[in-house]
Amino acid sequence: MLRSFKRNLRLDALLVNLSLFFIVLICLLPFLWSVSSSLKGREELFQTLPTLFPQHPILGNYEFIFTRRDMSMIPINMLNSFKVTLLAVVIQTSLATMAGYAFARLDFKGRDLLFYTLILLIFIPRAGGLMAVYELMDALGLRNSHLGLALLFSSAMSTAVFIMKQNFLSVPRELEESAIIEGANTWQVFLHVAVPLAKGGMVVVALFEFLYVWGEYLITRTLIDFPELDTLSVAVSKITGWAALFTSSAFSTYGAEAAAHVVAMVPVILIFIVMQKWFIRGLTDGILKM
Amino acid sequence: MASFPDVERAQQPAPQRSALAEFFYQVRTLRSQKWGNLWGYVFVAPALLLYLIFQAWPIVRGLYMAFSDYRWIIPATHGWSSFNGLDNFTEMWTDETFWTSLGIALKFTVVYVPATMLLALFVAVMISKVKNAKLAGFYRVVSYLPVILPVSVALVIWRSFYHTEFGYLNYFLKSTLGIAKPPNWLGDADWALWSVLIAAVWMTFGHQALLFLIGIYNINPEQYEAASMDGAGGWAQFRYITLPMLKPIFVIVLVLSAGVLGTTVEVLVLFDTGGGPAESALTTGLYIYRTAFSVGDMRMGYAAAMSLVLGLLSMLISGVVFKMLRTERA
Repeated sequence: MLRSFKRNLRLDALLVNLSLFFIVLICLLPFLWSVSSSLKGREELFQTLPTLFPQHPILGNYEFIFTRRDMSMIPINMLNSFKVTLLAVVIQTSLATMAGYAFARLDFKGRDLLFYTLILLIFIPRAGGLMAVYELMDALGLRNSHLGLALLFSSAMSTAVFIMKQNFLSVPRELEESAIIEGANTWQVFLHVAVPLAKGGMVVVALFEFLYVWGEYLITRTLIDFPELDTLSVAVSKITGWAALFTSSAFSTYGAEAAAHVVAMVPVILIFIVMQKWFIRGLTDGILKM
Repeated sequence: MASFPDVERAQQPAPQRSALAEFFYQVRTLRSQKWGNLWGYVFVAPALLLYLIFQAWPIVRGLYMAFSDYRWIIPATHGWSSFNGLDNFTEMWTDETFWTSLGIALKFTVVYVPATMLLALFVAVMISKVKNAKLAGFYRVVSYLPVILPVSVALVIWRSFYHTEFGYLNYFLKSTLGIAKPPNWLGDADWALWSVLIAAVWMTFGHQALLFLIGIYNINPEQYEAASMDGAGGWAQFRYITLPMLKPIFVIVLVLSAGVLGTTVEVLVLFDTGGGPAESALTTGLYIYRTAFSVGDMRMGYAAAMSLVLGLLSMLISGVVFKMLRTERA
């Protein structure tokens, strides 16, 4: 009986790993495929039997998108992406930290009313949101502006404020109290005592904001009219003008496009793999608790 | 791959009041509250200002827009002057494109939501059965990669996968499965919406899988041990322990899914504003976007009206789902 039990166990494990192997394959294939295409020359790309691993890997596609300034705006788009993303991350993280601290620690009239309003507004449908946003940004002179995008993307901060509030509530209060007794004012207590203890929450907020802004598509596409102001995520969907590459012998437009995709996905993948522990924490502290 | 020590933190204490009840309680008691530490206002002011300008204002303005004949390229209709009562809604009633697009959006939602949820649940259960911690961590990370990928990049890659001649998908269907005439994915009106669906499920199931997984990790292993002592097999354990314990996660996942009715980006990247062959993938979200930003007078008023109807509809659906799950087995 024990033997059949063991055999069942082994069969189970086999089934589990087999099905997960398929899932892994499905998840990774597009990634592998882009990386592989980006390293292939023209001849290999149009081979009738495509191979996953390029036989003669070349870097020409990357060289093209980074050095041919006359045709490729990818380096500019990449800088734009970093600019908007970092700006939004800094703005949202610092403002949400301050607000979260106030909601957790400072006692002022209407505090909880404000907080619950912020949470409830998440569930109100944004009727005509994008249209109204377009009009607003136009009126403020923030269309075609990276600062405008960053302000807009950092303003959706209900979850961030929620996470920071929870974070401050979970650290002990004693240190702050002794600092107050020693004569520090509220701002000093916040900056020198509370913030160092809340770094974890700030990392989580920054991480989620980074992933969101880096991949944002719809609003950026709508608010930005000039290709040289586009972020990478919009730019990769617009690549069409590289047909001239077909005439050059070594590589093709497909290879260069794949290289652009790889460039657009590398930052988020790196950040995600390095920070995955924080990521789970963000999910459990954020939406699962709301 | 690192372990996930923080998963334990997910154990959630039951809230005393719902956010809505808390809100009304706070409204009632506001007058009796003391002014307290005025630094509080200084701390929340910047965040609040940003929120009021960029989040709260568009809600109000969009609501008004829905009752006006606002056309972006005709400046005379700007501002508050072009109020036209219920005209947008009567027009919508007879607008065939609107109803067709709503049908497409509903079809998309009805297939997407269960498909993604079942796949996610399956993957989560499978990963939870992996004993080796490092291997489980690997599976978790890999199944989440599609989610963090910028949507546009993911969709552009899928677009090249779907290519009839050079695409990997048809190559695979022809060579490995021996299908002689694989579909013309993006070019055939019968397949266009399915192409969007497959890509959409691929991009999002990892998120739900992780939520389910966190839920499964939070179930006390002793419950399973006790069940197996009593002779309950794998299926019975899943049916009578895992599923009921995951109910809160199902609620979250379903409520999050209500937004799918407004699907726009997926169709926009794959087909631009055209909506695919014979407009077979023109969802309401895309129709709204097209009305407001790409055709004719840029009729933002009419678009806002459609968007209001769509928003109320998805709120209604998620409300009904929420109620149903709440009362069932209560």
